[in-house]
Amino acid sequence: MNRLAYIARRLLRTVLVTVAVVLVSFFLIRLAPGDAATVMAGQSGYADETFISSLRAEYGLDKPLPVQLWKYVTAVARGDLGMSYERRQPVLDVIVARLPNTLLLDAFALVVAMAGGIVLGALAARRPGSAGDAGVTVLAMLFYAVPQFWLGMMAVLVFSVWLAVLPPFGIETMGADYTGLARVADVARHMILPGMTLALYYMASYARLTRTQMIEVADQEFVKTARAKGIAERQVARRHILRNALTPLVTYAGLQASILVGGTVLVENVFSWPGVGTLAYEAVTARDNPLLLGIFIVTAILVSLFNLATDIAYSIADPRVELGR
Amino acid sequence: MRLDRRSVLGGAASVPFLALHAAAARGNVLNAMMPAEPGTLCYPLLNTRTVQQICGNIQESLLLLDWNFKPQPNLARSFTVTPDGLVYVFHLEPDVRWHDGAPFTARDVVFSCDKMLRQLNPRSRNAFNNCESIRALDGLTVEFRLKQPFNAFLLSLMASNAPIMPAHIYEGSDFRTNPHNFRPIGTGPFKFARWERGQYIRLTRNPDYWRKGYPRIDDIYFRVCPTPEQRMVALETGAVDIALADDIDTVVSKRLRANPNIVASTHGYEGVGEIQVFEMNQRRWPFSDRRFRQAFMHALDRDFIVNAINFGQGKVATSPIPSSAPYYDPRVLTRYDYNPAKARAMLDEMGLKKKLGGVRHRFGFLMIPDGGGVQTRGAQYVRQAASEVGLDIELQSSDWATFAHRTGNWDFDMDNNSYGEYGDPAIGTSRFFVSANIRKGVPQSNIQGYRNAEVDDLFAKASTAIDPKEAQAHYSRLQQILTRDVAMLWVFERDPMLYYNKRVHDLVSGPNGPTDGFGRTWLSREA
Amino acid sequence: MKEFLSRLLVRPQTLIGLAVFAAIVVVALGAPLLFPKGPFTIVGMPLLAPGSPGLPAGSDVLGRSMLVGLAYGARVSLLVGISSTCCAVGIGVLLGAVAGYYGGVVDDLLMRFTEFFQIIPAFVLLMVLVAFLQPSLFSEVIGIALITWPQVARVARGEFLVLRSREFVQAAQLLGESDLRIIFRQILPNALPPIVVVGSMMVGSAILTESALAFLGLGDPGLMSWGSMIGASRSAMWVAWWTTVLPGLAIMVTVLALNFIGDGLNEALGPRRRQ
Repeated sequence: MNRLAYIARRLLRTVLVTVAVVLVSFFLIRLAPGDAATVMAGQSGYADETFISSLRAEYGLDKPLPVQLWKYVTAVARGDLGMSYERRQPVLDVIVARLPNTLLLDAFALVVAMAGGIVLGALAARRPGSAGDAGVTVLAMLFYAVPQFWLGMMAVLVFSVWLAVLPPFGIETMGADYTGLARVADVARHMILPGMTLALYYMASYARLTRTQMIEVADQEFVKTARAKGIAERQVARRHILRNALTPLVTYAGLQASILVGGTVLVENVFSWPGVGTLAYEAVTARDNPLLLGIFIVTAILVSLFNLATDIAYSIADPRVELGR
Repeated sequence: MRLDRRSVLGGAASVPFLALHAAAARGNVLNAMMPAEPGTLCYPLLNTRTVQQICGNIQESLLLLDWNFKPQPNLARSFTVTPDGLVYVFHLEPDVRWHDGAPFTARDVVFSCDKMLRQLNPRSRNAFNNCESIRALDGLTVEFRLKQPFNAFLLSLMASNAPIMPAHIYEGSDFRTNPHNFRPIGTGPFKFARWERGQYIRLTRNPDYWRKGYPRIDDIYFRVCPTPEQRMVALETGAVDIALADDIDTVVSKRLRANPNIVASTHGYEGVGEIQVFEMNQRRWPFSDRRFRQAFMHALDRDFIVNAINFGQGKVATSPIPSSAPYYDPRVLTRYDYNPAKARAMLDEMGLKKKLGGVRHRFGFLMIPDGGGVQTRGAQYVRQAASEVGLDIELQSSDWATFAHRTGNWDFDMDNNSYGEYGDPAIGTSRFFVSANIRKGVPQSNIQGYRNAEVDDLFAKASTAIDPKEAQAHYSRLQQILTRDVAMLWVFERDPMLYYNKRVHDLVSGPNGPTDGFGRTWLSREA
Repeated sequence: MKEFLSRLLVRPQTLIGLAVFAAIVVVALGAPLLFPKGPFTIVGMPLLAPGSPGLPAGSDVLGRSMLVGLAYGARVSLLVGISSTCCAVGIGVLLGAVAGYYGGVVDDLLMRFTEFFQIIPAFVLLMVLVAFLQPSLFSEVIGIALITWPQVARVARGEFLVLRSREFVQAAQLLGESDLRIIFRQILPNALPPIVVVGSMMVGSAILTESALAFLGLGDPGLMSWGSMIGASRSAMWVAWWTTVLPGLAIMVTVLALNFIGDGLNEALGPRRRQ
């Protein structure tokens, strides 16, 4: 099948799914009692009818629901995600300001998880049943079973409370206002605890996946042939087994993208990381509907694009695979 | 292994990240925190604690309060009141300029009080709706003519009620969308400098400040610190200098108080006078029965709430008026000691007998959202205490929207909440008890549906009395009735704790504390 | 069956998993008998260290026994884990079966639906659902089931897609059996093993999800759960480690045991063994 046509079809589907996301979330959010105006009235501790009704008017919450939906959908179609109720800023600006922080954390976690997972998985697969294999398997299962938020808190307890060697909260040293390389180093240090907390869970799954894949591939005909041809075992392992075992990992990474974007909520919350995850949590609690919808839309688009990219990467890595179903 | 604070800090002294924090705190710069970024810096538009703390440095009020709740000059250098209590004339400080250089005049005061505040801020509406007219007599004189005497009028001119806003910026514009809402202009000791989204709001010293010799600090940073743990660590490491009310969970107060670099003080929130309460929907039985409310009070060990749940911070509330505020009268109060046996007897007597399973009555308790903090812990204690006397409480958690919606629409049995008295019962307290303030859809009003004609009458008389003795008599009678009625379940006075680094001095200079800004605050260099 | 059991019990991990899980079930069921006063009773001052008189696991921020809380927490975890998985499996099997058996539009719709759940950040959606239904045991179970059923549906669909063209199904069709009978009597028993494996793994992840919700304050406020114990001790952790360490360990051990069992089931029922 033609690659371009495939990409076009996938993009169209992204648009359709995004529309579905908008519609579903729009109504879902409004099922809840109260709105942003009541939130502010409650929090201000001193409210009256004028206060509430003028806020509703400002946000357009006084209009009938279909009108609100129509206004929202037409605005989104123009690329306007509306204004955040709580922040009184364009939703897109709010998200774009936070997105790099989350992507940075994700990228760090993904790279560490993949690299660590593949190495551990390959080591374990080399001698299935050995002590090393058992060790990797148990470790993987352990990180699979740990609640991520708790792992983060334990990391804080050990490295910040007890040993006091790593900063527990935030993305950079408060008030230091570093620039240039010093800032990079500072951010890197702040990223270690949340990044590793996020990475360990995924590392566990990559290690497991690599291990099973490698054992399976090692059983296949072409590997046996290579061995029969007298190619050195090291070369067989690296060229034939690992390479073929890794292709499914790419697909898996694509599947994980959505988990990563939304899955940082807890880790960001524990480490006060100023990313989209904490933003989503705040949006839910403040009934900041435009912001919440905006986060859904932006992540839906990002994840779809990432999935598409991994599909294409997959087809390039393994020419036998055709794009499409 | 359990490490105490000293060994943690001792180990930390040589650690780079802590050292860096300390370095950041140097200089003539005050580092403060905010739990979340405010949606606007337009004071009247969003009168929350965060906005008050930031804008209190930018905008100023006509008057300040001293520790005895007596009005002191600020933007108004003097004022006169006619003997009938109906006409207030304020003489403004001359040579005051707005941060953009425009002169501050009577026009700004009239615009703020008559238009902007009245239109935007419910708290100010309460005061200025008493006014028949607000007008400028000349460039520096303003006259407020009241419809009837209102003895809390001067108090309601304090910063959190009546910040004076620049007329030349706002007049004729849409207040809600004015671009200066994000870079406010005031007359105060500090000017808005920068808003780095997601990180901090920086204020910088106003070199042309009208009060000579002030401010004594060059810059103030308000840094975003979303979680209580993060705020505690920031304070300990010196990354920030001050933690204001509710910034720090009381769980760790002992640890902080033991820190030699940190000063803890309960002074600075007397002007708010916040009381922690439980509200009951008195439209519903058995909450409508006074005996039930009295019995419930006897079932609560409020000393335990203060000492164990709030870790010793605050004190048991005995009246709708905080014990540190004017008009508090300890002689007239009906007090409710912890006496579960008495509570059980009272419930029996009112006919609320134990049914099968030992339960007398089952009802819901809507918890105010506070992220699992002291309010949530208090609610869990109440459930336990109630079960001891045969009442079965179902805890309901909520977010702000749900809480405000359900309480505002009277869809609850019991809830926990708190209110500020703001220095005078007419400003902060009466709103929860007068029947005129039973307003469906409005949270933080008389949501209990408490109705008592005598109480309505007394509140009206008390706030219009010209003679302070007469006002006191009415407020004493009110405290007598309200505590006998258990018109609301007063639990404890919050007395929020202010923590600050010992290099900070003169952080607060009156009962309105941080709300009055940090114009007088100074930092010692050696610490 | 006998053969299956011997295959299942051959692995030591599975045995350990089963033993630990059984112990947790005993604790969960026995908690009201062991500690009849319940987990909310205040027994002393807050934040007493483990080993204080009568407090083998210390006290929490309210002065309640951590040990009692941990025992009662097992009830919530297991209840939510198992019931949400049952719901998810129910919905997933039903829709997956229909999609796999009939194909066509139903299948297309289902695939779009699962795609929707792949693209939208599931945990955020769950927060929205639970917050808006008001946090309770019910909303947690419903919420978790709603975001997890597509996993089951995909597996069930795959199995039905393969099995519907097998001879025994065609034979049944020729005999004029109703679709309903074919789906439930003929295909489902044969499609069950992979569904059981997926389901067993889902219980563990549902327990993790529940603890995350409770940690964020979106759990049932009337129940003592491990996640809410951790969430309530976020600040306390800095002065009393046991308030967060112990409930987290409890979650980890439970989920680990479940995963061991799931792995064992996978081995015993896995495709390679079945042929």
